[in-house]
Amino acid sequence: MTATRWTPIYLGLAALMAAILALLLWAVPITEEGAREWTGQLIPGFWMAWTFPVALFFWVIASLLILMTLLAIRFPETPRIGVLRIETTRGDRLFISLLGSAFIHLGWLFFIGTPAFWGALILSLVYAAAVFRWV
Amino acid sequence: MDKTQNNKAWFLVLPVLLVVAFSAVIPLMTVVNYAINDTFGNNQFFWAGLEWFEEMVASSRLHDALGRQILFSAIILAIEVPLGIYIALNMPKKGAWASVCLVLMALPLLIPFNVVGTIWQIFGRVDIGLLGHTLAAIGIDYNYTNDPIDAWATVIVMDVWHWTSLVALLSYAGLQSIPQAYYQAARIDQASRWAVFRYIELPKMQGVLLIAVLLRFMDSFMIYTEPFVLTGGGPGNSTTFLSIDLVKMAIGQFDLGPAAAFSLMYFLVILLVSWVFYTVMTSLDRQESR
Repeated sequence: MTATRWTPIYLGLAALMAAILALLLWAVPITEEGAREWTGQLIPGFWMAWTFPVALFFWVIASLLILMTLLAIRFPETPRIGVLRIETTRGDRLFISLLGSAFIHLGWLFFIGTPAFWGALILSLVYAAAVFRWV
Repeated sequence: MDKTQNNKAWFLVLPVLLVVAFSAVIPLMTVVNYAINDTFGNNQFFWAGLEWFEEMVASSRLHDALGRQILFSAIILAIEVPLGIYIALNMPKKGAWASVCLVLMALPLLIPFNVVGTIWQIFGRVDIGLLGHTLAAIGIDYNYTNDPIDAWATVIVMDVWHWTSLVALLSYAGLQSIPQAYYQAARIDQASRWAVFRYIELPKMQGVLLIAVLLRFMDSFMIYTEPFVLTGGGPGNSTTFLSIDLVKMAIGQFDLGPAAAFSLMYFLVILLVSWVFYTVMTSLDRQESR
């Protein structure tokens, strides 16, 4: 496919994901004082009481998967061997990053606890960058 | 070379995707939702944030169960893998006896897990069980319902009895696929029995052995039914492995939030171990095909 045919695909998928995110944001309930209740139920009375943080979590993962799929189709790659001495593709590196991030967050909870929990996120991003660069 | 690819066939997997979403992906998302909410049933949820994770990560109950689980998996792997290889090496290679051995080896694998638990539960009882009664008659103080060591020994022997066959059958399949030429070459070189094993049979069995270790590890790491029927996790908590503890927490105490956080961590550990095994296996395959 030529570059011009890729642009509508990118834009279309980006618009779709943005629309889903907007819908989720719109569904966040508003309290009587007018503030947004971020941990409130998105659809009152619906099965399993989904909340915005959970929805955002899965939205991020879905977006990552869509992005990586597009990249894999448009720029096919050959696996390479990094510091772990194993062959990895971009998808493998994403998996290693996500799995490692989960353990980093658990480790943060174990050693430090909930204070400054965003630190775990920063650490995970650094870790993911390192994985994509060297693994 | 440019091949035209027709990707329309991908749409044919859509039904599978829907079924998997309904039976696996959405339930997993539900577990995530449980893990950060508090609930008393009735579809009523209260936001709990990271509370359950914090509680579970620091829970000594979980640490103890994890320790027992790792110890159990390590012990049964250390027994079943060498024993399975040893049995496979001594099984007849062809003829009627080969079939008889294969059927006999496959028998324990066909018995449902809860029946295995029941068999050993009765077998080990001091009053009516053959094993327990015999041990008592020789003068050995054996009682798996009171003594943690006896309970552990019984659970391990039961697992070895149930699953060594799997390792043996896999190793046997690996051995059968070695061409005779290797053995002839070894005989010409006057290689010892040990050298034949070390340099021909073991390397050729590497692939199936890894699968055997992976299967046995995964199965033992999530073992539930057999120890549940045999000891119910007791005496005390001494044979409470991860999944028994998880079920106690989720269904016994209806602590769905902590149990969900617990099972997510359990899932992550299993994912990590499976990935390591898978990576090792595929890189071995690549080395062999080079």
